[in-house]
Amino acid sequence: MAAVNGYQGNTPADPPASTGSKQPAAPTKTVDSQSVLKRLQSELMGLMMGGGPGISAFPEEDNIFCWKGTITGSKDTVFEGTEYRLSLSFSNDYPFKPPKVKFETCCFHPNVDVYGNICLDILQDKWSSAYDVRTILLSIQSLLGEPNISSPLNTQAAQLWSNQEEYRKMVEKLYKPPSA
Amino acid sequence: METLGSSDCNLEILETLSEDAIQEITESYDGFFTTVESLIAGTGDSSVEDEFVSHVYCLCKYGLESLVRDHFLSSLEQAFEKGGASSFWHHFDAYSEKKLTNCGEEIQVVLCKALEEISIEKKYHEKCLSMLVHALQSFKEQSSEDRQNSDTERANLFVRFQSMLSSTLMTTLPQHFPEILHWYFKERLEELSAIMDGDGEEREDDCMDLDEKLRYKNGEMDVDEGYAQGKRLGHDKLVKNIGKVVRDLRSIGFTSMAENAYASAIFLLLKAKVHDLAGDDYRTSVLESIKEWIQIVPLQFLNALLSYLGDSVSYGSASSDLTSPLACCPSPSFSRVVTPSEGIVRWKLRLEYFAYETLQDLRIAKLFEIIVDYPESSPAIEDLKQCLEYTGQHSKLVESFISSLKYRLLTAGASTNDILHQYVSTIKALRAIDPAGVFLEAVGEPIRDYLRGRKDTIKCIVTMLTDGSGGNANGSGNPGDSLLEELMRDEENQENAGFDDDFHTDDKQAWINASRWEPDPVEADPLKGSLSQRKVDILGMLVDIIGSKEQLVNEYRVMLAEKLLNKTDYDIDTEIRTVELLKIHFGEASMQRCEIMLNDLIDSKRVNTNIKKATQAGAELKENELSVDTLTSTILSTNFWPPIQDEPLELPGPIDKLLSDYANRYHEIKTPRKLLWKKNLGTVKLELQFEDRAMQFTVSPTHAAIIMQFQEKKSWTSKDLAAAIGIPIDALTRRVNFWISKGVLRESTGANSNSKVLTLVESIADSGKNEGEELLTGDEESETSIASVEDQLRKEMTIYEKFIMGMLTNFGTMALERIHNTLKMFCVADPSYDKSLQQLQSFLSGLVSEEKLEFRDGMYLLKK
Repeated sequence: MAAVNGYQGNTPADPPASTGSKQPAAPTKTVDSQSVLKRLQSELMGLMMGGGPGISAFPEEDNIFCWKGTITGSKDTVFEGTEYRLSLSFSNDYPFKPPKVKFETCCFHPNVDVYGNICLDILQDKWSSAYDVRTILLSIQSLLGEPNISSPLNTQAAQLWSNQEEYRKMVEKLYKPPSA
Repeated sequence: METLGSSDCNLEILETLSEDAIQEITESYDGFFTTVESLIAGTGDSSVEDEFVSHVYCLCKYGLESLVRDHFLSSLEQAFEKGGASSFWHHFDAYSEKKLTNCGEEIQVVLCKALEEISIEKKYHEKCLSMLVHALQSFKEQSSEDRQNSDTERANLFVRFQSMLSSTLMTTLPQHFPEILHWYFKERLEELSAIMDGDGEEREDDCMDLDEKLRYKNGEMDVDEGYAQGKRLGHDKLVKNIGKVVRDLRSIGFTSMAENAYASAIFLLLKAKVHDLAGDDYRTSVLESIKEWIQIVPLQFLNALLSYLGDSVSYGSASSDLTSPLACCPSPSFSRVVTPSEGIVRWKLRLEYFAYETLQDLRIAKLFEIIVDYPESSPAIEDLKQCLEYTGQHSKLVESFISSLKYRLLTAGASTNDILHQYVSTIKALRAIDPAGVFLEAVGEPIRDYLRGRKDTIKCIVTMLTDGSGGNANGSGNPGDSLLEELMRDEENQENAGFDDDFHTDDKQAWINASRWEPDPVEADPLKGSLSQRKVDILGMLVDIIGSKEQLVNEYRVMLAEKLLNKTDYDIDTEIRTVELLKIHFGEASMQRCEIMLNDLIDSKRVNTNIKKATQAGAELKENELSVDTLTSTILSTNFWPPIQDEPLELPGPIDKLLSDYANRYHEIKTPRKLLWKKNLGTVKLELQFEDRAMQFTVSPTHAAIIMQFQEKKSWTSKDLAAAIGIPIDALTRRVNFWISKGVLRESTGANSNSKVLTLVESIADSGKNEGEELLTGDEESETSIASVEDQLRKEMTIYEKFIMGMLTNFGTMALERIHNTLKMFCVADPSYDKSLQQLQSFLSGLVSEEKLEFRDGMYLLKK
């Protein structure tokens, strides 16, 4: 109950202009936003208290509907030792609609295009309200190591994937560590 | 042949002198020499005087007047040096090595004798000198000089003689003479003081007598009066004696030495008197009696002395421009040249200043003890306040008190309670001395700093705040009482303040307030706010130690929870009162949770009664079933209580049944609410009946559950017992120790060496234990059911740490401000983020020192 009270000042009934374009306007804003807010807050709490290794996310300073995420490449994959920044933007329909997730840092990966768009089934048609930020981040983390070569967004990466040694070199060459 | 004094003129004159003249001069010169010698030695008769006069005349005729004068004076000097001075000093030779403590009488006699002798000698020499003056004058009269000139001539000669005399004495002065003088005056003054003390005591009687006499109008002298008069006579005589000595000393040029001597004697006496009067008793005010004494003894003495010496005393005229204590220096070595009318007034100011300073130093040195005794010692504090107003040496107080605090109070050996008690007393005492609180701030700073370093400070403060009201007199309940008083005082103040505010609208009142404004003392630290903000408020200063009132309220909540949970009778009147008082001080909002806790208790009481009523209407009790009457419950609104330590506990069947019945009834009454029992909380009163005895205990439910298991089975292995009760084995061992120490259970090693067997001791005979023996009872005390504030804080801080790590992972670097805002924004679940920027900063620097974070260019980032 304290959580609800403490958040009055920043309800998304009046979303900032910068995020407006990313969010589809929901018809039943005010009622839903409260529950979305609650959900996001509890997700944040859960993530903070035990997110899991190599994944992290946090809302931007003034808007709990826009998060920044960070995943690190899993061990024993070509992405080992790299770190990628993502952006997650939630709509007022969350968790019934998936959030829009993009790579902020350039990622050389068969299922990620040059704009950072990700081709991942659970972010599109396979979405379920049971998923949350944590599972999204974990899925993307595992996607790094196990790409879906059959439907690539980056064909060059898809072709190179079979040669792991060369691929690793390519990743290192293109990798720019994320900054603030 | 005019009178030419310079020698170079004489040389020219020599050329013109005739044989006869030279002859005449030589003869007169020889005659002059012999007559001078015999005159000074006092051997010649009256004819010598005539001869002397004629020789002087003759020599003057030839312009040798200066030679006459110089020779005469140097002869006098030689004679004095040989005779008067050496014999004068000879009197005191005996005391050069001796200790002067025991020969006061002797010194008096010797000094008087010596002074008398030297005065006679001096008088004689003066007679000789006046003869010379006379001779010179008669010459001048004949050579028709004007009288005016000869009078100055005479004065000149006497001044030269006087300075010659004193310089002779000074050059031959033995080192111990000033000390002799000092001792002389000291002894005399003590004598005088003794007389006057007696006099002072009887003065009041005299007044009474006088009244009575007026009533009877028969003017009969009674014994007392005569006695007092005798005393006054003794006093006058003594003063006369001293006056004579002083006058004689003055006449031989020892004016300043004499004054130094009696001044230092007076100051010594005053100091001794102050020490004597003040002593180590802080329960009475001594300032007035000291002032009175100054008036009676030294001032009367000085008055008498000065008037005897012919320095007329007229105060009043000069006193107006001498009111500043700075006008006179307290140093006794200061020798003054002032007009006598001012003399006494100056003396009075000097003496009073000295008395104030002495008393102040004395009290400051003992301030620590005085404050320990506060409020019994408030007269001493009042004295000190007056002294400080006079001397203005507040900084001395601050320095000295801080050093004694550091040495005596702020040590590891002092208990936090004692320190707090002393702190409160200090606040109260210094508030009396300095209502503005400037010095208090300086003094309080080290105490506060020290207390902040102690872990139990908050707990002690809260105990002080709440105890004394709870009626549980556990030894040191006194400071608690005083703090509760403070709370109530505060309440009154608030009411008054509100009243004042209404008045402030009045222009006249505003003007009065403005004109009453006083600047801060110079010692005030301008950084710490002005007078108006620096209200001396004990609670405020205690809260200041803790840092924030939230912390204090939180600690109080924990303490209150503990107290409420241990209550069995719902009697919370004292707690309600304390909470109300705290509410006034800290505001309604911060005490809201405490209020809800109290309301829980009140509701519980009502619900409890309702449930019992409903049950009584029900069926009879079956075998092994317990009546609901034996149970009282406290129903908590968990959200508002401090986190409660949860421990699993399997209660014995009948109890469990009782609880679930109770819960069911609650559900019936309060649908849809349900009771969730915290089985490990609360207390159980139980009576154990053995073959030969019965024992009563009030214990925790866990203890009760343990002992109940022995109802059916006399012996358990600890492993089985732990399983039956549902608590970990180490927790069991801790609890079992209680029963072992009470002689109820006995522990023995079982078949398996790892497991222990606990057996019920049925009778004292086979307990094999002394009745009085108590073991291991201590560790039970520390067990509480409420998570302590430190635990809560640690828990909160781990959450914050995770949040900070989370945001830094995703945003790279962040400034303190942004971290603070982000935490405020998103760390909203229980416990929500409520720390100040400063608190966050210190927490972050803690993380930096743990090498979890890095701090670079004002930004925090994760340590990679």
